[in-house]
Amino acid sequence: MKSPLVASIRLLIRDWRGGELGVLFSALLLAVSVVVAISGFVNRLQFNLERESASFLAADLVVSSSNPIPSPWIDQASAVGLAQGETITFSSMVISAEDEMFLASVKAVGGAYPLRGALSVDKGLAQASTAIPEPGTVFLAPRLVQQLSARIGHEVYVGDATLIVAGTLLSEPDSTTGFFGYGPRLVMNAANLDETGVVQPGSRVTYRLLVAGESDDLTRFREWVEPQLVQGQRLSSVDESQPGIGATLERARGFLLLAGSLGVMLAAAAILVAARRFGERHTDQVAVMKSLGATRGTIRQLYALSLTWLGLLSIVLGSGIGWLAQSAMFNALADQLPSEITRIGFAPYITGAVTALVCIGFFAWPPLARLGGVSPLRVIRREETIADATRSVDLVLGTASLGLLMLWYSSDWKLTGALIGSIAITVGLGFLVAQTLLKGSRQVGSSAGSVWRLALAGMQRRGTSSAFQVVIFGIAIMLLLVLTAVRTSLLDQWRLQIPEGTPNHFILNVAPADESSLLTFFAERDIEVGELYPAARGRVMAVNGQPLPDWDRFEDGARQREANFTSTDMAPEGNKIVSGSWWEPGTEKSLVSLEDGFAEDIGVKVGDTLTLRIAADEFSVEVASIREVNWESMQPNFFVIFPDRLLERFPNTLFTSFYLEPNEKHRVGELLDFMPTLTIIELDVAIQEIKTIIDQVSQAIELVLLVILVAGALVLIAGVSSSVDERLHESAILRALGAGRGTLLGAVAIEFAAMGSLAGILAILGSEAAGWVLQTQMLDLQYQIQWVLWPMGVALGALIIGSLGTYACRRVVSVPPLQVLREL
Amino acid sequence: MIKTSQLIKRVSTAESELEILRGIDLEIKRGETAAIVGASGSGKSTLLGLLAGLDAPSSGEITLDGINIVNLDEDERAILRSEKVGFVFQNFQLLPALTALENVMLPLELAGIDDAREKSEEFLARVGLGERFHHYPRTLSGGEQQRVAIARAFASRPLILFADEPTGNLDTTTGATVVDLLFGLNQEEGTTLVLVTHDNGLADRCQRKFTMTAGHLEEAS
Repeated sequence: MKSPLVASIRLLIRDWRGGELGVLFSALLLAVSVVVAISGFVNRLQFNLERESASFLAADLVVSSSNPIPSPWIDQASAVGLAQGETITFSSMVISAEDEMFLASVKAVGGAYPLRGALSVDKGLAQASTAIPEPGTVFLAPRLVQQLSARIGHEVYVGDATLIVAGTLLSEPDSTTGFFGYGPRLVMNAANLDETGVVQPGSRVTYRLLVAGESDDLTRFREWVEPQLVQGQRLSSVDESQPGIGATLERARGFLLLAGSLGVMLAAAAILVAARRFGERHTDQVAVMKSLGATRGTIRQLYALSLTWLGLLSIVLGSGIGWLAQSAMFNALADQLPSEITRIGFAPYITGAVTALVCIGFFAWPPLARLGGVSPLRVIRREETIADATRSVDLVLGTASLGLLMLWYSSDWKLTGALIGSIAITVGLGFLVAQTLLKGSRQVGSSAGSVWRLALAGMQRRGTSSAFQVVIFGIAIMLLLVLTAVRTSLLDQWRLQIPEGTPNHFILNVAPADESSLLTFFAERDIEVGELYPAARGRVMAVNGQPLPDWDRFEDGARQREANFTSTDMAPEGNKIVSGSWWEPGTEKSLVSLEDGFAEDIGVKVGDTLTLRIAADEFSVEVASIREVNWESMQPNFFVIFPDRLLERFPNTLFTSFYLEPNEKHRVGELLDFMPTLTIIELDVAIQEIKTIIDQVSQAIELVLLVILVAGALVLIAGVSSSVDERLHESAILRALGAGRGTLLGAVAIEFAAMGSLAGILAILGSEAAGWVLQTQMLDLQYQIQWVLWPMGVALGALIIGSLGTYACRRVVSVPPLQVLREL
Repeated sequence: MIKTSQLIKRVSTAESELEILRGIDLEIKRGETAAIVGASGSGKSTLLGLLAGLDAPSSGEITLDGINIVNLDEDERAILRSEKVGFVFQNFQLLPALTALENVMLPLELAGIDDAREKSEEFLARVGLGERFHHYPRTLSGGEQQRVAIARAFASRPLILFADEPTGNLDTTTGATVVDLLFGLNQEEGTTLVLVTHDNGLADRCQRKFTMTAGHLEEAS
């Protein structure tokens, strides 16, 4: 052949016109566009969510310290190119010009604060602002405005400094850091800090260095600073400081990766089916070409080049479709997402292209490569056998390549292993079960009516190809079941994480004598209030009689540790005892239950003796149990818990929590008027933000699921159409021989429905196996066998495959048999 | 032009080995027309397949235009076919995705001939399909499809043309038209023609006539 390039393009154009390429090209296009769309969408979503969750810290990374941040650290942050800000927080009495006093949580801010998220400030006269206060001015939280009766323009005194109120602070991004910063917020400019004279050596102050920038720069900074941290200094990202958000994002990322990987697998399955069909349909064409003088090499070269063109075309078009799809998905969530403009970058296109190349090389090429081996004798002897369209070596190579592709895509061997493993199970069991059942079904079928006999005989006759179809249907349904099941568990878990009515306010410092009047206050206003826990601040002094070093000694190893102690005779909900056992209610013994991380920090296990100090009293307790605490729950959690009777001996206060609807926010002011000594921690804004993030990722997950469902449907269609020709041909002969329309269509429906239910069974077995691994090992979710899916899988398999198959073969009865016989 | 000696073809079946051709000796000279007749399953098509190099014999020699094709591998035989051999089949074997013109152009393209289009148009016109260049096979009648196949066979100007039941799928009148065309072109081009047929009338038009019976070939005098 003179110009293989030209000839291959010509072949492609002719095949295209002849409708031969449709399914193969759609499958390739599907692969590229699903991968580009999902990975592009995931990149953008992740970027946006990280930005949004970073606003919980007002930065990407925060160094907090009880001493001023060393200046070389600030220099280093500049050197690696990070933006910086600083906050200094402390509690201080704020006094108004009218001599009203209130204990406020003061935050002095400077630099580019906030680096992520924004302040929202009402400056009166309908002016809103997001800038930090000018030097000499402050913003007050609404409750402070109320308590101090200080309006905009009034003076307030913080220590020795006189500052002007410039606005009401509506929200601040990092409101939840410094959980125990008691009192309503006052935000001032760090430039005025020295004037106040409040911050003295030894005062309880938290200094924070906020940095933000590119992730590589952040990593460099983190690696540089981490080894230099000493006791009292901490480095945190949003994952670490907000485990609830961190875990939510981590799971969402896991799910989306899973979805993307499933997209690739579905596309590969579609390509496998389509290429097989393409190869079969081209067998005669190749035999003719070879009889006309085409060599094996010419044929291989021709088809290799055609496939290359097809691949290039699908990469280009698929990238475009993928881009459109991710942008449509993103726009569908536009209301919920911050309006930051993000580009999807090159990575998704590269992923799409590599996916296309792997799919072409390992799934589309093998059946076409074998076309070269077609015997030219087929032109005079139709019965001349065709080379097997799919060989087991192809399947093994294909699965291996898919595994590598997924590993590259997800960087997660567990996910890859789980999916490849479950596919292997489905394929292996599939051929076994399909062959056995298909054999058995003929015996059943031969005694059934003629429609059944026709259907089951047909299935039996196409033994291997029916088994292949069952396996492909099984894989597609399995992947969809896995994704649906994981999505359901994920959304359920998220809903449970912050259920409706989760307490969003905490009250500290309730004097035991005030307990009943506090309860009356809430009862009168019909607000539900949680259990009142006793709380005392204490310190662990010694373990098994060995004194621990002072807590502020800068050295490694266990140290004295200060914590909030509480007591209860009932194991707190959501805590899991990991060693030891919970005590009998009413016990008089000196026991303690520790949080597992806390126990590890001070190096103790069940049975050890701790010496503790509350105020001036020292006493000893035996470690009775160690608990795992779910820090993601927005419930009160404790490091150290005693039996009720033990803490009664010590002076303590009570604390509790309650839930307020947004429109009842004024109750906080009422409560403080009623009991001015209370400390109230307001978490409503933070909880609302977590809920917003959960809503966003939930919607994103639903959207991605939808895309994957569409991909799955295309695989099923490809699978069904792969055997349509043969069925049409047979049915045309049967019709010519006088078979009725009802009988033929009924037989087709029964045949596909039977394959569908077999596929359903396989899919359920595979999906339970994959689901177990994915949910317990990767997404850290509880696994439950989804019994409800079993009958549903079989019934839906039968229904969907049955209808698709019948629809695809409707020409069996609608087109005159002669026309069918002539066309094929 | 074509010569075989002691040509044997065996095939293995599930039960035993079957000898389809049992020592065929045959010689056909350049420009001759020859017919092979015989009952179904007598081995006619197998012999045609071997002569055309579509298959390899179990033993024996086949010489085509002086070349012993038994010693050639499949690709070398393919090249030989593209240079010297043309085909007409019972079921036409047109590619459904290609138009009439493209079907005729295909062997010329495979042989790397430059003016494939002009040559193909010329031959299509010669078989009376000058108006149907861009029709697909499914829109053509059986006779028209076979005429496209004949144009395709002659377009590459083969030395030898093999025809396998060229009228087998056609009614008598159409069949006669196609046969006239086949012999007419054969005469004009000086091609050696070997055809396999059931049709004695068609066989009688050939200069030589062979009968195949259970793997043995005899020339009718």
